[in-house]
Formats: sequence, C-alpha cells, structure tokens
Amino acid sequence: MKWAETVAIFAVTGIITVVGNTVGYQQPLAMAAAGYLFLLVITLLGMVLARYLPVKMPIVFWSSLLAVLSTSPISPWASIIIEYTSKLEFMALATPILAYAGLAVGKDLPLFKNMSWRIIVVALFVYTGTFVCATMIAQVMLKVEGLI
Amino acid sequence: MKDWRIHIFAFFIVAICEWIGTKKVSVGPGVLLFLPLLYAMVIGGIISWPRLKLIKLQEMNTASRVLSLIALLLVTKLGVIIGPQVAKVAQSGLALSLQELGHFFGTVILGLPVAIFLGLGRESVGATFSIDREPNIAIIGEKYGLDSPEGRGVMAVYICGTVFGAIWLGLLAGYLAALKIFHPYALAMGAGVGSGSMMAAASGAIKAVFPEYGNEILMYAGASNLLTTVIGIYFCLFVSLPVTNYLYKVLTPIIGPKQKQEVIVK
Repeated sequence: MKWAETVAIFAVTGIITVVGNTVGYQQPLAMAAAGYLFLLVITLLGMVLARYLPVKMPIVFWSSLLAVLSTSPISPWASIIIEYTSKLEFMALATPILAYAGLAVGKDLPLFKNMSWRIIVVALFVYTGTFVCATMIAQVMLKVEGLI
Repeated sequence: MKDWRIHIFAFFIVAICEWIGTKKVSVGPGVLLFLPLLYAMVIGGIISWPRLKLIKLQEMNTASRVLSLIALLLVTKLGVIIGPQVAKVAQSGLALSLQELGHFFGTVILGLPVAIFLGLGRESVGATFSIDREPNIAIIGEKYGLDSPEGRGVMAVYICGTVFGAIWLGLLAGYLAALKIFHPYALAMGAGVGSGSMMAAASGAIKAVFPEYGNEILMYAGASNLLTTVIGIYFCLFVSLPVTNYLYKVLTPIIGPKQKQEVIVK
C-alpha cells in the first residue's frame, strides 16, 4: 500500500476514533487528537523500520518496541506522550476496529453459511482452549511467584 | 478514498455504539458484558449482509485493509501503556512466558479431540494446531497447500474467527472474569491470544469487570499478545504443527468415527 493512502486512512479513522472517544468516555477532544497523533507517528515509524531494515520482523514488533521505549523511564518525552495518549481510551481505539471488522464480514458470510455446524463447534473449542489454558497457567505461575 | 461510504458507515456505527455504552446482563453466577465493540461488530455485519446490497465487495475488502491498519495503532497504544511499567512486566516474565504454552497448546488440547470425535479427519490438524490467523494460514499453505484437507481446516476456523471470534472471546472473558475464580492479571495474560480484535474484546471485558486494575490488565494483555504474535510464527511451525500431527495419529483410532465423512461443507 502507498504511504499517502495509508496516512489518509489513518486520518479518517482518527476522526472516527477521537469522536467515539469523546462520546463514550467524555475525554477532551483536542488532547485525545494529540494522543492519536503520537500513536500514529510511532506506528508509522514502526512500519518504516519493518519495511526498510534488513532484519525481518513483523510491524507489530517494531511499533511495540518503539512505543514501549517512548514511554519507558529512559525516554525524555515519556511524560508528555503518556499525558496525551492516556486521554485516548483503549476501548475507543478498539470499537472502530470491530466496526470495520463487521463491515468486512459480508465477504466471508457466503462461505460461512456453507460450513457444517461441526467446524463451528471446533472453532469455539479452539478459541476457548487458547484463552482458558493460558489463563490457568498464568494463574498458577503468578501464585507460585507470589505476584498475586 | 474512492470507498468513502465505508468510512461514513464506520463513523456512525462507532458514534452510536459508544453512545449506548457498556451493558451488563446477569446469567447464572456470572455476567454477560455487552461492550460497544460488540455492537459495532454486529451492526457492521448487518450492514455488510450480502442480501441487503448496502455495500459492495470492493468496499468490504477496503474495510478489511483498514481494520488491519488500525489494529496496529491498538498495539502501539498497548506499548505506551507498558513503557512506564516495563520493569513490572519483566518481573512477571516467567509467568508470561509459561502461559504462552497455554496459548499454543490450548487450541490443540481442547480443539483436536473434539474435531476428531466429530469426524473432521485431516481437517482437524489445520483447524486446531493454532488459533488460525493470517500467519498460521501461511504456515499451512506452504506445507500442505490451501486446497488440501489441512488447508480447508485452517481456512474454516479462520473464517469462523472473523465472523464470531471477537464476540465469543469478549463474552467468554467477561463471564469468566465475573465469576472471580481467576485473578485479573491471569485473565489479562490469557486474553493475549494473538489476534488484535479478539484480544481487544477479551481485555475490554475483563477491564469492565475489574475497572480498578484497568491499566495493569491492558499491560499484561498487550505483553502476552505481543509474545503470542512474535513467537507464535516459529512455535506453530516447529512445535505445534508436529505435535498436532502426532496427537492426530494417536487419537484418531481411539476416538475417531468408524468411517470417514466429508463434513467441512454440508
């Protein structure tokens, strides 16, 4: 995808996210918009690293690394980034994702309708398994280590 | 921006869903949590229903591209939450690493016996060796091809995931959290299943049950989700897939049905 198109999409979803953030969580619009810009810049830098560095790692790796560094104690901009991004609720970012996921679902529905109930049952067990097994191990380990 | 209509739909869906806000319904000992993101998914799904002809296939493809782009922002948001507490996350490194085994083998432990029992045959392997998101499809595609039984299995669960994965995990995580059996940190780590939308739905539900732990929940869910995504590619290829294949061979004669049937498609 071209960079200009990517930035244009992020601008549109930015408006949607920040408005949702104000409607649902009563956060100040301008500060949340600045928070969105911080997240956007970090994400775009991560995309640049993923595309141009010779070490091949997924975008989420680079953008997470930059994001963690940007607010870690060693970062000179940590307090300002935290102040603005904290005005943008996590759930306000998640709702647009699921809205687009819903809008995209129509292309999978014809295939989905032809599936047997058996595979749907299996899928439910697959998702339940990964969540519940990890939670159980985490519970035991956190107890053993005395962290909870 | 020729597909501008899709963004207009998204704008109104988001504004309306956030305005409605979170609703709780008691069911038995737990609570079903209905979050704005769940309504957003359902309303979006209705609008994209092929029979209504409200949006075109090309617009749905755009929506799917937009979704994978903004999912990156969500991961960045989790990163800036982790940053100030990076020492605290490192402190729970052992628990974080070991619970990944639950993410990788949980799909096989619960899914594979059910799949074999229901008579899915070799489809079982593709369907249950992982949570079957894009990187896992690539693994199966390279190894067996996507028109193989294994390929049909992975694609079928992938499509189930895009249709109801986030809704299911959101409701399940909220219900389990409300039972108060598990600590919110443990649930948060469990929520890092390796898919942005499923992780968001699950951790959002856990956060709604334990608002006092909000940031810690996002922090652990984010760290766990990142581990699942980055390690997952290698783990699924070199460990999960061979293990699933082995278990398939062992379990099929014991719990498999007597004759092979074609069951993925009706």
